[in-house]
Amino acid sequence: MKRDALLRSPLPMLVVLALAWWLVVPALKIEARYLPPLGAVIADARSVWPDLLAGFWRTLLETVIGFFIGAALGIAAGIGFAQWRWLERGVFPIFVALQSVPVIAFGAIVVIWFGNTLASKVVIALYLAFFPIAVNTLRGLQEADPQRMALMRSFGASSRQMFLKLSLPTALPTIMIGLKIGLSLALAGAIVGEWFGDTVGLGVMLLQALYFEQVPRLWVLILTCGGLGTLLYGGAGLIERRFIWWRAE
Amino acid sequence: MVAGGVTWRDRLAVVIGLATLFIVWQAATMLFAVPDYILPRPLDIAWAIVERREQIWRALLFTLAETGAGFAIGALIGIGLAVCLVLIPPCEAVVMPLAVAINAVPSVAFVPLALIWFGLGMGSKIAMAVLAIAFIVLLNALSGLKKPEQGHIDLMRSFGAGRFGILWRLRLPAAMPSIVTGLRVGLGRSTIAVIVAEMLGAYDGIGQIVYQSTAQVDYLSVWAAVLTAMLGSLALYGCLVAIDRKLIWWR
Repeated sequence: MKRDALLRSPLPMLVVLALAWWLVVPALKIEARYLPPLGAVIADARSVWPDLLAGFWRTLLETVIGFFIGAALGIAAGIGFAQWRWLERGVFPIFVALQSVPVIAFGAIVVIWFGNTLASKVVIALYLAFFPIAVNTLRGLQEADPQRMALMRSFGASSRQMFLKLSLPTALPTIMIGLKIGLSLALAGAIVGEWFGDTVGLGVMLLQALYFEQVPRLWVLILTCGGLGTLLYGGAGLIERRFIWWRAE
Repeated sequence: MVAGGVTWRDRLAVVIGLATLFIVWQAATMLFAVPDYILPRPLDIAWAIVERREQIWRALLFTLAETGAGFAIGALIGIGLAVCLVLIPPCEAVVMPLAVAINAVPSVAFVPLALIWFGLGMGSKIAMAVLAIAFIVLLNALSGLKKPEQGHIDLMRSFGAGRFGILWRLRLPAAMPSIVTGLRVGLGRSTIAVIVAEMLGAYDGIGQIVYQSTAQVDYLSVWAAVLTAMLGSLALYGCLVAIDRKLIWWR
């Protein structure tokens, strides 16, 4: 149990991975083209520090704005589906299908619609976040036990009360899963959205590093993106543990 | 919805939903004379698909081949790793931190690296598809393989079953539903990963059509390619659901 806890805590894990990287690369004489030595990556990170920081904030901002708007719309859509059965029948399967669709390919079109601004990346991020959140909201709302619903109704609860006291609390863990998926998709959307033309952002720097084949820079950016992702998921996990202590399982 | 069986009324509702979408889209774009670069009309897109069918068909096959290869390899890696971890538990201490660290990075961030490592050909796209699916299958397979209760395992052991016997007769059947869930989610992700990788550099494929058509300001082709990819990935998904129903009839 103790070993498991140690395994899951991120800090020792990071130290071990860094040590392994530091030791293994010179020992196995791995080419820098594949995996540069850790020292080179750190040196590169220090040389582009201001750009990296600016890119980090920019991508974070795009992700967070896109995620929150996408989450609000997604939850609203999910509630709408749960309310109106005909809407669910006709539109929901299309939603499920759209989830597996490479919407990122529309990036160029979104940039035309919203201009080459922050807004276009936000829109891509929110579009990607929207579907899993809407789908999970509906699934969660459908989980409420019909017997309990009947019981509440027999005590004269209004549909508003039933929604707030029963359906929503039952649905929250499932909605949370959707929110987490949406968050990771929003981050991916923000990064890819920047590929369609911008000057600041982690996605932009990734593209530049690719064109100039700067492998250490790519690793700096991969690590930064990983850090950003971990920060976001960590935040989401914190909120989940604080506010949704009851769980479906 | 999937498990309960689809009735004809559900199908009708979807058809009506799609038809409404189509008609509203067509009518609105005609009524407000929306230019093609903002939103082309669905009939024009359909015509564009017919017109460019050879190019799009070839690209679609290319993309699907990459996705399929990556999907198969990634699924095997994910399931294989999970089985190894269950058979040799100490390995988990080495493999899991690495897997979690790789998964913390949004997979699109690996696309440039994949292109540098594996070149512009199919290799880099297959690698991205593998990356997109292997982890989710690993996680799902692992939790599924660990699902059988200790009591059942002990019972089988008392009848003389070895590690492999328990794995084959108890753990794998128990893990199938969650493995299939992992495969489903992973399929969508690997399709997207392949197309994104193709957009940054490839010799052929849907992503490359999107990239080139964007550069040539030919947005009708972008829509045609994306809609075709959508149908392609839906077809793949449908195959998976069909296989799922055949394989896991005991669920």
